[in-house]
Amino acid sequence: MRNLFTIAIALWLCVSFFSVAEENRGDHSRHVQHVEQGFVFMFQGSNQKAISEFEAALALEPDHAEVLHYLGMAYAQQQFWNQAAENYQRSLALMPNNIEALYSLGVVYFKLDKWEDAVPVLEQVVELSPQHARGYEVLGKSLVKLRRYAEAVPILTKALALKPNAAGTYYELGMARLNLKEYTAAIENFKQALTFGPARYAEPHYGLGMAYLRLGEREKSRTEMQIYQQLQKEFAEYERLTRLTRAEPNNLEAWTGLATMLMNRKNYGQAVQAFQKCIEFAPNDATFHHGLSRAFMNLNYPKHAAQAAKRAIQLRPNQAILYNTLGSVYAMQGDPKNALVAFQKAVQLDGEQPYYHLNLSKLYQSLGNPKLAQEHYRAYEHFLSEQKAKPK
Amino acid sequence: MNTFYRNRKRNQNRPLSIIARYLFIFLWSLTLSAVVLAAAADDMILIPAGTFTMGSDTRAADEKPMHKVYLDAYYIGKYEVTNAEYYEFWKQQSDAARTPENFSHLPQIGDWPARAAQFPNHPIVGISWHDANAYAVWKGMRLPTEAEWEKAARGYTNRIWPWGNAIEPYANTDADDDGYQHRIAPVGSFPKGKSYYGVMDMAGNVWEWTADWYSDVYYGYSSQAAAKRPKKNPTGPDVGSWRVLRGGSWIDKIARCSTTFRFYLYPNLKTSFVGFRLAKTAQKTTK
Repeated sequence: MRNLFTIAIALWLCVSFFSVAEENRGDHSRHVQHVEQGFVFMFQGSNQKAISEFEAALALEPDHAEVLHYLGMAYAQQQFWNQAAENYQRSLALMPNNIEALYSLGVVYFKLDKWEDAVPVLEQVVELSPQHARGYEVLGKSLVKLRRYAEAVPILTKALALKPNAAGTYYELGMARLNLKEYTAAIENFKQALTFGPARYAEPHYGLGMAYLRLGEREKSRTEMQIYQQLQKEFAEYERLTRLTRAEPNNLEAWTGLATMLMNRKNYGQAVQAFQKCIEFAPNDATFHHGLSRAFMNLNYPKHAAQAAKRAIQLRPNQAILYNTLGSVYAMQGDPKNALVAFQKAVQLDGEQPYYHLNLSKLYQSLGNPKLAQEHYRAYEHFLSEQKAKPK
Repeated sequence: MNTFYRNRKRNQNRPLSIIARYLFIFLWSLTLSAVVLAAAADDMILIPAGTFTMGSDTRAADEKPMHKVYLDAYYIGKYEVTNAEYYEFWKQQSDAARTPENFSHLPQIGDWPARAAQFPNHPIVGISWHDANAYAVWKGMRLPTEAEWEKAARGYTNRIWPWGNAIEPYANTDADDDGYQHRIAPVGSFPKGKSYYGVMDMAGNVWEWTADWYSDVYYGYSSQAAAKRPKKNPTGPDVGSWRVLRGGSWIDKIARCSTTFRFYLYPNLKTSFVGFRLAKTAQKTTK
C-alpha cells in the first residue's frame, strides 16, 4: 500500500514537472510569435499593432532588453514620448551602455523638451561611440535649446564632419552662430542648410533674414523674410490638406491638391500614394495617371512609370505631354527606339513646346545623329526664346 | 557432380569478385568524394579583387553617398547556409545557446531539429549573429563584410536588384507572384534572380547577417578619406548596438530587397526571417 502511495506521488510529481515545462515552452513559443508579429507590423508601419504585439511578448517574458527597446521605438513612432522613454529606461536597466537605446532615450528627452536630461545621455552616446553623428546632432540641438551656444558649435561641427550633408544640423549651427553674433559664418551655415535641405525648406530663410538684419542689409533681410513667410504659408496649406485627407478620405479635391503639393515638395513616395488615391476615385482621369507616372519616374521605377503613362495615353491619346513623359521613361529604361517614337509623337502633336525638341535633340545626339540633334536643339532655342518673349 | 562443379567454380572465382567489388566500392567512393568536393568548391564563388560602387545617392539616407570601394579577392557562399548544413554543426555543439529558435506558430518553418530533416535545403533561420559567426568559424570561414555582400549582389554595375533594374518575381518577397507565399523557399529556387557573379538568393527569402556593426553615417565618413582613392576592404564601425543585415526576406516588400538597402537588428535576436551565408578571403597567388 505504501509502495503504491509512493508511486502515485512520484507520478504526480512527474506529470506536474512536465506540464510546467510544457507550459513554459508554450509561453516561450507565444513570446516568439508576438515578437515576430511585432516586427512584421513595424516594417509595415503599423506601429500601434506592433506595440500590442511587443507588449504581449513582454507580458510572457519581461526581461528582454532588445524587445523593450523595439517597443520604445514603436511608441516613439507614434509620438507617445513618455511611454517610449519608460521602455528605453527599462531596456537600459537590463543592458546599460547600449548605444542605440541611450541615443533613443536622448531623442525622447529632446522631444519632451527635457534638454537638461538629454545632454548627459547624449554625451554618454558620443563617448561610447565617437563616430555617432546622430548623437552629436541631437546633443548640439539640445545645447542650442539650452542657449549654450558656444558649447553647441564644436559639437554640431563634429556632427557635420561625420554627416556632411545634414541640412538640419547646418541650420542649428547657423542659429548658434547667430546668437554668438558671428553673422557672416551664420549666413554661410543657413545657405548650406538650403543647399542640402529638402525643397521648400523655410527656416533657414528666417535665419538669413535675421543675420542680414543684424548686418544692416535690410533689403536682403526683407527678401528672405518674405520667402520664409511664403513657404510657411505653403507648409500650412500642406498640413491643412494632409489633415483634410485624413478627416475626409473620400475628398478627391483634397487628394488632388495634396498630390500636386507633394510633387512640388519632391516627396515622390507619398505623391505616388496620393495619385493612386485620386485614381481610385477618378480612374478615367488621365491627369492622375500622368502624375503617377512622373512620381514613379522620379523614384526610379521605370516599369511602373511606363504603365501609368500608357494608361494616360489610352485615356487622352492626343495630349502631347503624355508622349513626352512616355519617351522619357523609355529613355530611362535604355530603350531609344521607343523613346524616339514617343518624342516624335509629342512634337507632332505640339511642335511649339521647346522641351520636347530638347528631349529629341538629346536622344538624336545619343543615337549618333548630330545633324538632327542640332536641328532640334535650334528648334528648342527658338521656341524657348519665343516663350520668354510672350507676355505672362 | 554438376552442382559440385558449379559451386567449386564459384568458389574459385570468389577472390576475384571480392577484389572487383572492393575496387568498385573504392572507385565509387572516390568519385563520390570528388563530386562532393567539387560541389563544395562550386558552392563558394570567387569574387575577383577590384573596385566597385557601393551605396546609392537616390535611395535611403543611410545608403549615401555612393562611393568607390576596393576589395581584395574573396569567396562568398553561392547559397545561404541550409538547415542540413547547420544541423551538422549543431549536433556537435555542447552549448545549448547555438540551438535555433522554434517557430511552432509557423508550421511552414517549424521546430528545430525536426525542420532540419523536413526542410533540409531551406536556409537556416532562428539563429543569432553569434550563432552564425560560430558556424562560420567552425567551417574555417567568416561572415561577409557589408561591402563584400554588396559587391557580390550588385557586381560592377549599379543594379537595383541582383538580376537588374526591373521589378521581376525573381526573389521570394511578400509579393503574391513569386510562388512562395508566406513561406521560405529552398535555396537556389530563383535561378533567374542570380547576381552578376552567379550568387543566388541575394534578394529576398531571408535577410543575411553580415560581419559589420551598423552606423547610418559609416559610408559618409569611411569614404571621406577615400575622396582621392577608393576605401580598401572596409569592415564597418568599431562599435555599435546593431549588426547589419542585407538582402530582404520573405516578409518584405521588394524595395527592401535591393542590393543597397541596409537593415539592422540586435545580434542576439533569433527570427524566422534572418539567415546567413559564408565568406572567405581568397589566398593571394604570387607569381
